[in-house]
Amino acid sequence: MDLFTVNLLSGLTYGMLLFLMASGLSIVFGLMRIINLAHGSFFLFGSYVAYAMISRGMNFWLALLLSTMSVTILALLIEKFLISRFHGNEASQVLLTLGLIFVIGDATLWIWGGDFLSIPVPSLLDFSFAIGESSFPIYRLFVISIGIICAVLLWYFETKTKVGMIVRAGVDDMEMVGALGFNIKLIFSAVFLFGAALAAIGGVLSGPILGMYPKMEFEILVNSLVIVLIGGLGNWKGAFIGAILIGIIDSFGKIYLPDASVLLIFVVMIIVLMFKPTGLFGRVES
Amino acid sequence: MKKSIIVTLFLTLVICALPFVITPFVLFMLTEVLIMAIFALSLGLIMGYGGLQSLGHSAFFGIGAYTVAVLSEHVTSIYILIPAAIVISCLFALLTGLIAIRNKGIFFLMITLAFTQMLFLFFRQSDLWGGADGLGTSIKPNLGFTELGSPLSLFYLIAAFFVLTYFILRLFVNSPLGKGLKGVMENEGRMIALGYNVKKYQMIAYVVAGGLAGLAGGLYIFKTQFASPDLFSVHMATTVLIMVFIGGLGTLFGPVIGAGVFIFLQNYISTMTDRWSLIMGLLFIVIVLYNRGGIFQLVQLIGKKLLPKKNVFAHKKGGTTIELNESGKAE
Repeated sequence: MDLFTVNLLSGLTYGMLLFLMASGLSIVFGLMRIINLAHGSFFLFGSYVAYAMISRGMNFWLALLLSTMSVTILALLIEKFLISRFHGNEASQVLLTLGLIFVIGDATLWIWGGDFLSIPVPSLLDFSFAIGESSFPIYRLFVISIGIICAVLLWYFETKTKVGMIVRAGVDDMEMVGALGFNIKLIFSAVFLFGAALAAIGGVLSGPILGMYPKMEFEILVNSLVIVLIGGLGNWKGAFIGAILIGIIDSFGKIYLPDASVLLIFVVMIIVLMFKPTGLFGRVES
Repeated sequence: MKKSIIVTLFLTLVICALPFVITPFVLFMLTEVLIMAIFALSLGLIMGYGGLQSLGHSAFFGIGAYTVAVLSEHVTSIYILIPAAIVISCLFALLTGLIAIRNKGIFFLMITLAFTQMLFLFFRQSDLWGGADGLGTSIKPNLGFTELGSPLSLFYLIAAFFVLTYFILRLFVNSPLGKGLKGVMENEGRMIALGYNVKKYQMIAYVVAGGLAGLAGGLYIFKTQFASPDLFSVHMATTVLIMVFIGGLGTLFGPVIGAGVFIFLQNYISTMTDRWSLIMGLLFIVIVLYNRGGIFQLVQLIGKKLLPKKNVFAHKKGGTTIELNESGKAE
């Protein structure tokens, strides 16, 4: 039973990291109708920048803030100079982000090399608590709570604030929102940057747990895509449920079905898509 | 039909003559170009004629490669190995198509990407066929009466498959089936209204493309004699996507030119710097930004400039000329 709890919590931790990544992906899709394939690169770039700062003696929390900011600036440049040039041409936008994966991925390989790197756990959270006879690191519990806090904040912004209202309206009918006098381009940029910032936070927080290595962005990206396909694209709720599901399946799969664990999440995806092609919470496209 | 035969015969002549004018190293690269050209042609079929953007086409290439590599321990005849590679790739296309074809656009792209990553992770982790180390083989193309050992004979064998692929695809895109497929890409609603089973058309194209990519993968093993999980990687899927884009969508020659340009660029740039991946990404971004039609369209444009012709798409209407854009809508 103790082992069960530990596995459940590990799965939740991984799920919450994926949620931070997938929610941005999903919200950006809901509004702009594009899948930002370079979203995984934001995740990885964030953790590499934080590594660079922390390995030079910087405080973890300051590094978290600064690397999130630097990823946001990177996202701003990409949005401003590349993606916004193809307003309304989704296919080109998606392919642009595909090219960006290789540019960012190779640049990080160039700067930080191909070794496995990892960020040390911040000293404030560097202890474990006991669950029966097993123990569980408090840092992972912290990651789970960050994920839940982000979900609550997203819920609050979406339903209780004016910005959330505009974004919700934008998901339904972007042109109408523009016709009502709101600056669509500004809303696009803001949501894109917000998604990138979430991915960067996920990346830095995953540093002490998953570490960083070249081509990691593909794994994170595909897992996030599976999550949004299962949960349904365009809203963070689907990403939240999907991420928890995938995190837990992955965690238990590694224990009970070690040989087939990599296939398990795809099997779940296939089953969901067979019965509900738009995902669990997805809306039917007209 | 007649034009297809003439073009194919011309292509055959050029390929037969090529080894007499090039160095062995270029021949070695051209062999790879032809394999990748088959691969790019198959992706060009579903992208340029079916409107299905796949980021998982390397799945079929990998399946074809592993089929030949695994079976070569038991059989050597090319008449079994190559059909096996094609059939198994087709089957995988049929199974994944049942789920992927139900969706369009970005969803199709994401689902194909997920399937490819699934195979990549499986082949990397499983101890069944060499795992992450890959699977080596010493297979040489055995035609029954003789075994091809020299690089030149391998080149001709692969060239034969390439010409055959090109000829079949040319017939396919000009057939009612191919025209229907293009109709689905250009205006799906109208094709549904006309009573076409649009999903069936896309499915057929997807399975044909899967089989041809499997053929390319199978031939690849005869050249490299080594199958690695990296064949399934997103990197591979992107590589072939870039080839199609460099060459130009919606044509058959485009992907072939794209494959050639890409492989020669890759070989020369890799000798100069380790940053090929970075350059490839930048190249791709530049192509998407500035030249959506690829090299093929560029050549066509230059041709049009040099040989001014009457624009067949311009219609006179009330004294003003209305130019039609690609999708047939008036601008």
